Amino acid sequence: MTAAGLPARRRPALEVVRALARLGRAPRGRLVLATLLGVAGALCTVGLLAGSGYVVDRAAFRPGLGAIAGILACVEVLAFLRGPLRYAERLVAHDAAFRALGRWRVWLFDRLEPLSPAALGTWRTGDLLARAVDDVDVLQDLYLRGSLPVAVAAGAATLAVVVVGVLLPPAAAVLGGALLVALVVPPAVAALARPGRGREAALRGSLASDVVDLLRGAPDLLAFGQEEAMLGRVAEVEDELLQLARRRAWAAGLGSAVVTLCLGAAVVGVLAEAVAAVAGHRLDPVMLAVLPLAAIGAFEPVPAVMAAAVRTGDVVAAGRRRLDLADVPVPVEDPEDPVEVSPGCPSVEFEEARLRYGPDRPWALAGATLSLPPGSRTALLGSSGAGKSSLLNVLLRFWPLAGGRALLGGQPIDRYAQVDARRCIAVVDQEARLFAGSIRRNVVLGRPDASDEEVAEAIRLAQLDDWVASLPEGLETTVGEGGAKVSGGQRQRIALARALLTGAPLLVLDEPTAGLDRPTAEQLLADVLSSTGRAAEERTVLLVTHHPAEAAGFEQVAVMEAGRVTEVRRADRAGRGDGPAPTRAS
Amino acid sequence: MGNVAVMSTPVAEGRVRGPIDRRLASRVAVTRRYLVLAVLVGVLATASVVAQAVLLATIIERALRHHVTPGSLAPQFAGLAAAITVRAACGWAGEVAAHRTSAAVTAVLRRSLLAHALELGPGWLAGERAGELSLTATRGVGALDAYFGRYLPQAVLAGLVPLGVLAWIAAQDWESVLVLGGLVALVPVAMVLFGREATRRTAHQWRRLSSLAGRFLELVVGLPTLRAFGRAGQARREIAAATEGLREATMGTLRVAFLSALAMEFLAGIGTGLVAMVLGLRLLGGHVPLTTALAVLLVSPEVFLPLRRVGAEFHASTEGQAAAGRILDVLDLRSPAPAPAEPAPGARAAAPGAGMGGGPPAVALSGLTVRFPGRSTPALEHLDLAVEPGRRVAVLGPSGAGKSTILHVLLGFVAPDGGRVEVGGTALGSVPGRQWRRSITWVPQHPALLRGTVADNLRIGDPDADPEALEAAATAAGLGPFLSQLPRGLETPVGEGGLDLSAGERQRLAIARAMLKDAPVVLLDEPMSHLDRETEAALRSSVDHWLAGRTVLVAAHRPDAVPGIDRVVDLARAAPAGADGGSPSHVATAGGPPPGGEQVATCPDPGKAGPPDTPEGPPTLATEARR
Repeated sequence: MTAAGLPARRRPALEVVRALARLGRAPRGRLVLATLLGVAGALCTVGLLAGSGYVVDRAAFRPGLGAIAGILACVEVLAFLRGPLRYAERLVAHDAAFRALGRWRVWLFDRLEPLSPAALGTWRTGDLLARAVDDVDVLQDLYLRGSLPVAVAAGAATLAVVVVGVLLPPAAAVLGGALLVALVVPPAVAALARPGRGREAALRGSLASDVVDLLRGAPDLLAFGQEEAMLGRVAEVEDELLQLARRRAWAAGLGSAVVTLCLGAAVVGVLAEAVAAVAGHRLDPVMLAVLPLAAIGAFEPVPAVMAAAVRTGDVVAAGRRRLDLADVPVPVEDPEDPVEVSPGCPSVEFEEARLRYGPDRPWALAGATLSLPPGSRTALLGSSGAGKSSLLNVLLRFWPLAGGRALLGGQPIDRYAQVDARRCIAVVDQEARLFAGSIRRNVVLGRPDASDEEVAEAIRLAQLDDWVASLPEGLETTVGEGGAKVSGGQRQRIALARALLTGAPLLVLDEPTAGLDRPTAEQLLADVLSSTGRAAEERTVLLVTHHPAEAAGFEQVAVMEAGRVTEVRRADRAGRGDGPAPTRAS
Repeated sequence: MGNVAVMSTPVAEGRVRGPIDRRLASRVAVTRRYLVLAVLVGVLATASVVAQAVLLATIIERALRHHVTPGSLAPQFAGLAAAITVRAACGWAGEVAAHRTSAAVTAVLRRSLLAHALELGPGWLAGERAGELSLTATRGVGALDAYFGRYLPQAVLAGLVPLGVLAWIAAQDWESVLVLGGLVALVPVAMVLFGREATRRTAHQWRRLSSLAGRFLELVVGLPTLRAFGRAGQARREIAAATEGLREATMGTLRVAFLSALAMEFLAGIGTGLVAMVLGLRLLGGHVPLTTALAVLLVSPEVFLPLRRVGAEFHASTEGQAAAGRILDVLDLRSPAPAPAEPAPGARAAAPGAGMGGGPPAVALSGLTVRFPGRSTPALEHLDLAVEPGRRVAVLGPSGAGKSTILHVLLGFVAPDGGRVEVGGTALGSVPGRQWRRSITWVPQHPALLRGTVADNLRIGDPDADPEALEAAATAAGLGPFLSQLPRGLETPVGEGGLDLSAGERQRLAIARAMLKDAPVVLLDEPMSHLDRETEAALRSSVDHWLAGRTVLVAAHRPDAVPGIDRVVDLARAAPAGADGGSPSHVATAGGPPPGGEQVATCPDPGKAGPPDTPEGPPTLATEARR
């Protein structure tokens, strides 16, 4: 779905770079400073080499110490300065790159937030990992290994040509020509190696997702003896990547050879011009060593340009992938003039609500009508695919309605700001998502300013108190990434505690007992009902389940089928006749 | 991959880090070949550098003293051009070799890493490891690219060219060598002084980076939850703060890391400056010929150039080394799996239970104990459990009582800390894991969805299954209605970039997949927990049909999780109560008569024949397990 929604238009490289600079709020001052420091450092090299040549040539005529002392002093100063200048340049450049990096990372999160979960449904961790981590890290090279070395090389080359031009114009022409070729050919060579680049990025992407599949799916692959097949699949991708890398290696080698040859041509050409000029008495013989040495110095920053050209290709590709996110339509927008949520417990009404997840998808809601009066407790039954979760997606404003109405507190739900609407609702997801960190941290996500007593009360209501008390570190016990270190039942109960802590007037339980054993599940539901029952007028409860038995004790039972609410019963013992009575021995 | 385990040595504390981790060179043969080639190229490059300088000096001296025309120096100019061409060729060869090596080494390392991770098994991969490791296998391996492609070629040149050039200068003018040699001798000092600290800090930085990446990913994946609770803004601030914190920390690292490059630049600058001064003063006194002085001056930057380049790539090196270290550390871990790479002498070469007259094998666990590191109570303690051939046993118990652990032990994912596990009379650990698992099929609680089509995912069960077989299995597992609403049916892409399946759809996919693997032992982990009643009811008869004639062990919350359960084992009674949050009062309620009316026995049934080699005789139940 999302893949189909991605744009077909390919952004031009320049537009990508500009957009990246804007999004990273390019730290211009720092970048200019780094460039200046870099050019100054490169000129130190030119001056150091040329000055040394002058000293030696001059001394050969044995003019006495006084004649070379001044130049010698200058040479020594340049020798001292070069290191610190380069050091400062690199620090400033890295600082600028990291600043931009942080902004790009936050930008990505901002882009992803409104797309989640609706438009991100088909993405998975592997791809997100590749996009988020790799692309961002590649982007930092936009300046470090991209524009900066090019600016420094071009700046230093220009100034060196000017200096040589003052001494001997024909030599400057030779040097300028050689430098120009050396600066232009590497990008051309990089372009030569380019055809495989798009393919390479695609291969790297599928390699990353295969690696994630392989590692996360290891139990399944091993159990079915398919690990070798999967390793073979990874190996195939790698083999193709190797082929492409060979071609790239060839081009990289060619680029560096071209630079060396240009340097050679410059030295030979400049020296030939100088020799001819000395023979023709147009040049002081002392300058004979100065000119070729200045040429050698001017070439010093050039090899980095080849690497920059290659790297910029990667950066633009990564940037393009990131910017394409901006074209994914945001499914739900806030209204321009949102209404305030009235205090107290709001009613919820769905009237002929219709929804589908794509133009070519079946209707997930095909005219569902349901009313939840304030303080009521409703069980929503139905088989999987009947539209129960879609109803919640509308309520949480994750998806817009394609028809009909959804009202919260008597107002159409799309007239509220998303944040405000969600503030009324506490959810326990079907597969509750926990975050790495302590149990406490996961629970207080519901209400960051909750007191210890309130947290303890939520823990108790979720039946976690005995377990937490048995843990050596209590509430500070970590749950692992995604709650991997705790069992499914505990994960569900931590999520319940988190929802109860919010104190939101509308409590939505989406299959909260999936993965729990029957007795625990029943006890949990009974506790939820009794805890919310005490303040019935303050809290509306909506339980989504496919176990009719769990509807027992709910005053309203609604049944969904094929995107419609087909049956609503308002009775205290609504669930009893529908399925086998819950087993409560003992 | 057996040879990896053989080659591996325990991680040595404080091992010496040369330009190449010795473990890397010994593990990847390509590295050695590359080093030989790089040395050859380095020697040739040194020779051309010296030739270039001598020719340049000769030309300058002639022109200076005799004011000759370029034409009369044609042989020298031609020689110069030749030397430059050789140097360019060396550069080309060096780059090509470096990049090719880099690609080859990355591929080899990634393959070994993945294969070894699989060998270490799902038990080791559990939790945060899988994510961390996939980062290492993609981004970490990528850092090696910079290491091999940019750092190593320079490092080899840095090792050869300065020494060669210095040797030549020594033959020409020993006083210049004193200056340059003295400064070059300071290079290793500076490297040790700044490099050690930089390496340590970079390794630390790497850990921070990967933890930030993991956190970022987790927050992005958890966005629906964060949004539902209105906490996305908080997460955004956390990311911004973490990134900013990382920037500050990284800048701190770089200030130190760049010091070695600074020292190098500094020594190089001073070197040229001092040589110019020494030569100038000696020329003034007439103690050195101009040609020699010029040649020495021209080659003196070449002493430092490779060193400076290598200094500039230093953090590429440390990051690459850190990444390589992490990969090699994983490769050095010994597989905890008890299974040998080859069948033990005398053990049957076939999968357990195969070749026993065609009937399904018995499954027997005796005295099984499993402890997880960091947990005070054992997950399983002295558990006895037997499933007679062709019988269906359900293991019940509250969440976390160890139901899944039993299945993971049987799959060879978790090594037991005590006790004996047998399938068809073959003991776990006596045959390789691959062979052991051949007789077992499994419906996991959280099946993985791999990138590919629905058919690709089903073929995990049987790679050779034809489309009819896939269709039949999908229908039997109740996927028919789901597939019929997909325009491309079985060929619909799922997983990354494709359709995401609901928990119930995944579960049915896993059942179909398990059906396709025609194995005599079936392990089911909450097989229908995500299915609604109608779907489940529709599935029961086909599942019953599938399970007929197989030995079945089900981990479930309900005794009627699959049809035709012969016996129920209640872990709540066997395991210490309250081990996992289920408080004793609920434990007592388990095992009551189920509504479905299946044959359920909650007491031992000594009438059924156990595996022939169970020493205790008739199979016993977990309810008797506490001793």
